[in-house]
Amino acid sequence: MAELTPFSYRSGRSILHAMDARFKLLFLILISLASLKAGAWGLPVLSGGLLVMLSVARLSSVAILKELRYFLFLLVVVFTARALTTPGEVVFTLKLMTLTREGLADGILVCWRLLLIVLLGFVLAATTRASEIRAAVEWVLKPIPAVPAKRIGTMMGLILRFIPVIFNQARETAEAQRARGIENRKNPLYRLAKLGIALIRRTFENADRLIVAMESRCYSENRTGPVLIAAKRDWIALLVIMVLILPMIFV
Amino acid sequence: MIVTENLSHRFSNGRLGIDRITLSIGAGAFVVVAGPNGSGKTTFIRHLNGLLKPTAGRVLLDGVSVSRDVVRARQLVGMVFQDPDSQIVGETVYDDVAFGPENLFLDRTEINKRVADSLQAAGLSHLAEERPHLLSGGEKRRLVIAGILAMRPRVIIFDEPFSSLDYPGVRQVLRQIVWLHQSGHTILVTTHDLEKVIAHADRLILLSEGRIVRDGLPDKVMKETERFGVREPCVSRLGLEVGSWLN
Repeated sequence: MAELTPFSYRSGRSILHAMDARFKLLFLILISLASLKAGAWGLPVLSGGLLVMLSVARLSSVAILKELRYFLFLLVVVFTARALTTPGEVVFTLKLMTLTREGLADGILVCWRLLLIVLLGFVLAATTRASEIRAAVEWVLKPIPAVPAKRIGTMMGLILRFIPVIFNQARETAEAQRARGIENRKNPLYRLAKLGIALIRRTFENADRLIVAMESRCYSENRTGPVLIAAKRDWIALLVIMVLILPMIFV
Repeated sequence: MIVTENLSHRFSNGRLGIDRITLSIGAGAFVVVAGPNGSGKTTFIRHLNGLLKPTAGRVLLDGVSVSRDVVRARQLVGMVFQDPDSQIVGETVYDDVAFGPENLFLDRTEINKRVADSLQAAGLSHLAEERPHLLSGGEKRRLVIAGILAMRPRVIIFDEPFSSLDYPGVRQVLRQIVWLHQSGHTILVTTHDLEKVIAHADRLILLSEGRIVRDGLPDKVMKETERFGVREPCVSRLGLEVGSWLN
């Protein structure tokens, strides 16, 4: 089941684990924005920074690539679509398909950016407890009037917690349906509907049980939250990141 | 400790869940509530900490009505549900145990102390930073128990605690339950499988169709269980004394 949960917290004692979640959330937003604007020189800089983060957080690149294999497949699809549909200097033509030099460059750039953003999200999720992400989101939303920050924070925390459980249920349901020969049905919509209905029903039943269990443990929106403290290292990291990425965003 | 007076619950579809249950459970007791599926076991225990409101009657905890102070009732009476996966809410083992104390709005130092104590009591200290969904079935049950212990309850209710557990898992959880009883907690266990736990109980209550049909010493009540859809332990059928699964 672990292989189905790439975006989940992994405990550790690295500097990234110790950093304030609010800063990490801000860094994710800033670097993602910068990657959208970054070109041929900016992306290698950001990628270098990402590799440093992965190394500091002691996250295995091989394990990450293994866990992101389905996303990598999506990137291949994106790359192929870009490479074959962007007009420009023709590299080769096969029947109706034309591969262009501009398409290749554009495909690489888009995939690079997407991979960078997803890996940043991975680093954030792997080094930050869901409760800290929730507290950071609550902190951001708190000043906005009429927005129930604590409720949104709790919902976020629960979503993060239950994604692996829902994946597991989907896998179990799919296996049970395969055992009863659903693969003999060629209509993908029929198969999707059968899986979807069973999965949604189970998810709602679990949600009901979860509510009862939370009530039993005195759940309330006014709870003790995690302590978020901005340390010197957070400000230094912010300074370094601003110096690196502001030219990419504004130049 | 726990007193119920003519406790009844009728569901919105008109079905009677429990019917005029009156009983008293003293502090430090170890009570097994048995009955077949649909006999009202879960409905009954959910009244003891205010998860369900009675249609008639009332529940008193140390003389105070549950409906008057539900938060107090939930602190006093911890509940371990059947399916651990749907009650674990934390991203890590530590986070999950801290969930209850955080809801009680305790300060962080007290929360940390309670979490450490509870994890130690459940034998899970070494897994504090582990992701809960990676734990084994027995470890998940112990995590749920640790989450309840962190709220410092005096009564702990286990709803079918041995379902879907293998033999080592059953022994782990049973050992935990017995230890909790020995450390002064009042224990209520609902089950339809008496064999695993009855050796440790000092009272057996049989429910059938929402009513108490037998209530007394396990040795005496056990002989009549099959009349009400609960299997009599094998050794009891043979006229032998039921032994502990921990031996």
